[in-house]
Amino acid sequence: MKKYKLNIEAHNQHGTLERILRVIRHRGFQINSINMNQLNNDTKTMKLKIIVHSNRTITLLHSQLKKIIDISNIQIQN
Amino acid sequence: MNGAAWLIQSLITQGVKKIFGYPGGAIMPIYDALYGSDLEHVLFRHEQGAIMAAIGYARATNSPGVCIATSGPGATNLITGLADALLDSIPIIAITGQVPSDLIGTDAFQEIDTIGLSFACTKHSFLVNSIYELPKIISEAFNIASKERPGPILIDIPKDVQLTKVEKLVPYFSRNQKKIFYSHRELKDAQKLIKKSNKPILYVGGGIGMSKSVLELRKFVNITGIPTVSTLKGLGSITENDPYYLGMLGMHGKKEANLAVQECDLLLAIGVRFDDRVTGKLDTFAPNAKVIHLDIDQAELNKLRKADISLLGNAKELLPKLTNPLNISSWQKKIIYLKEKYKWVYDHTGESIYAPSFLKQISKKMPFDTIITTDVGQHQMWAAQHMHFKYPENFITSSGLGSMGFGLPAAIGAQIARPNSTVICISGDGSFMMNVQELTTIKRKKLPIKIILIDNQRLGMVRQWQELFFKKRYSETHLTDNPDFVILVSSFNIPGMHIKKKSEIDGALNELFDQKGAYFLHVSIDELENVWPLVPPGSSNAEMIEKQSHEKI
Repeated sequence: MKKYKLNIEAHNQHGTLERILRVIRHRGFQINSINMNQLNNDTKTMKLKIIVHSNRTITLLHSQLKKIIDISNIQIQN
Repeated sequence: MNGAAWLIQSLITQGVKKIFGYPGGAIMPIYDALYGSDLEHVLFRHEQGAIMAAIGYARATNSPGVCIATSGPGATNLITGLADALLDSIPIIAITGQVPSDLIGTDAFQEIDTIGLSFACTKHSFLVNSIYELPKIISEAFNIASKERPGPILIDIPKDVQLTKVEKLVPYFSRNQKKIFYSHRELKDAQKLIKKSNKPILYVGGGIGMSKSVLELRKFVNITGIPTVSTLKGLGSITENDPYYLGMLGMHGKKEANLAVQECDLLLAIGVRFDDRVTGKLDTFAPNAKVIHLDIDQAELNKLRKADISLLGNAKELLPKLTNPLNISSWQKKIIYLKEKYKWVYDHTGESIYAPSFLKQISKKMPFDTIITTDVGQHQMWAAQHMHFKYPENFITSSGLGSMGFGLPAAIGAQIARPNSTVICISGDGSFMMNVQELTTIKRKKLPIKIILIDNQRLGMVRQWQELFFKKRYSETHLTDNPDFVILVSSFNIPGMHIKKKSEIDGALNELFDQKGAYFLHVSIDELENVWPLVPPGSSNAEMIEKQSHEKI
């Protein structure tokens, strides 16, 4: 099992957070902790800090998260 | 104009000519706006029929299919179709009515969390909170549905938004999509690797048709002389008379195709995703090969099989840059040898009809640009193995999801999309019953669809697996209580006949192809017939089980 830190910036549209969490679950990763903040009330951007773990390689999750329409930036640290 | 009228207007602006659907309470304003409008609506008898027809329409034209349904049960009936479009990457716009905004979340009548359901089965989805969001959402929806790897988009519109009256709506123009820049370095490396290879195989799939690069592919194959194999969704991409075309690979692929892939030293994978039906036991697939993987979806590169060179890009743009003659004559000779050695022998004896031969006969007799749709199961595999298709858009079959009930509505969608083409739906007695209500749609629109039902009175593919892997414990796969299909279909004013013997085939096919309108051919076959070859689960593609004869019980 390896742990990874995800830093995600996304447009806070209706359902975006749920989409992100669903992809994390569906692609075989479990969430250790999650922190969400709104960057700016006007532009409706949110910043997510999520710590996940899995036996699967993180590139698999990264490439699937990138496909979510409202995500603008993803950074991953081991 | 109210929101519903604006919606119809924007669909027309997007170039939509037909929409498929079924009314209901929460979508009544939209149906009211449709009444007398310039947009043609085709009524189905089940929302699943409507969305599967939209898929057939989209796959026959390589452009988006549009369907509409009401809230609650209307929306839930779309789910199978959405999942099918997601797994096969088909551009679909599904518009659902929703209960009024202030009732959302109160368990109202015919309310379900449609957006919540959409997360797992769509490329993206939208809830239209206000009429002013509509232009942007419509524009984005069509953009996302078709760009890069296509997929289904759901748009959920609450009833009050449909009814909101507004004088003017500001049109929205989507930003130009970012161009995908392929890596010149990777391209050069790929060119070198192809040139160096002694035993290359080109493995193509759905991405060829979807990127509209069939002609570039055929030119590539012609000039390089590279041997080729195809997935289910790729059938029709390579011309059948290409001397080094090995046919479909995988679980029910041709033996020569699987053996060649296991021997090759380079696998050039274009518009494919190394699906488990293709690879068999993944770590045994193409064991001697370096892999060049070309796809538009970065998530597929290195997902299942590590690629020596991954080329993120558009096949239409990159194929010409890879097109150079190759010097592989001894490998080509081996391919010819394999094709000759393992070619299918149609040696069925006896009076009863043998589906592989029967389908091959149809393939030879049908007009060259006929569109074939199938349902799911043994008949589907036989169609893939023994029939020839002019282009990928001429073979429409539920591949990734494998949803029974697909064939009939998909044929309807395809016929509506291409009214001058012959459309044949090949179905099984299990699948046919799942969307049989759509025979009404064929009757209503007077569609000249030819339906061929391969009847073994069984849930055939499952029965075959029970025979091979579950010690012949035939649990719930007997369909011996089917209705009289010819009588059933005749009640929808569609003529037909029932045949059981080889000697009856010629006459029946002549009758079928002579018909100007819809026609139904019920074909009884031996219930114990199996699909060969078969790669058992957990085995390598080299360990195919071959044709076995067995006694009739």
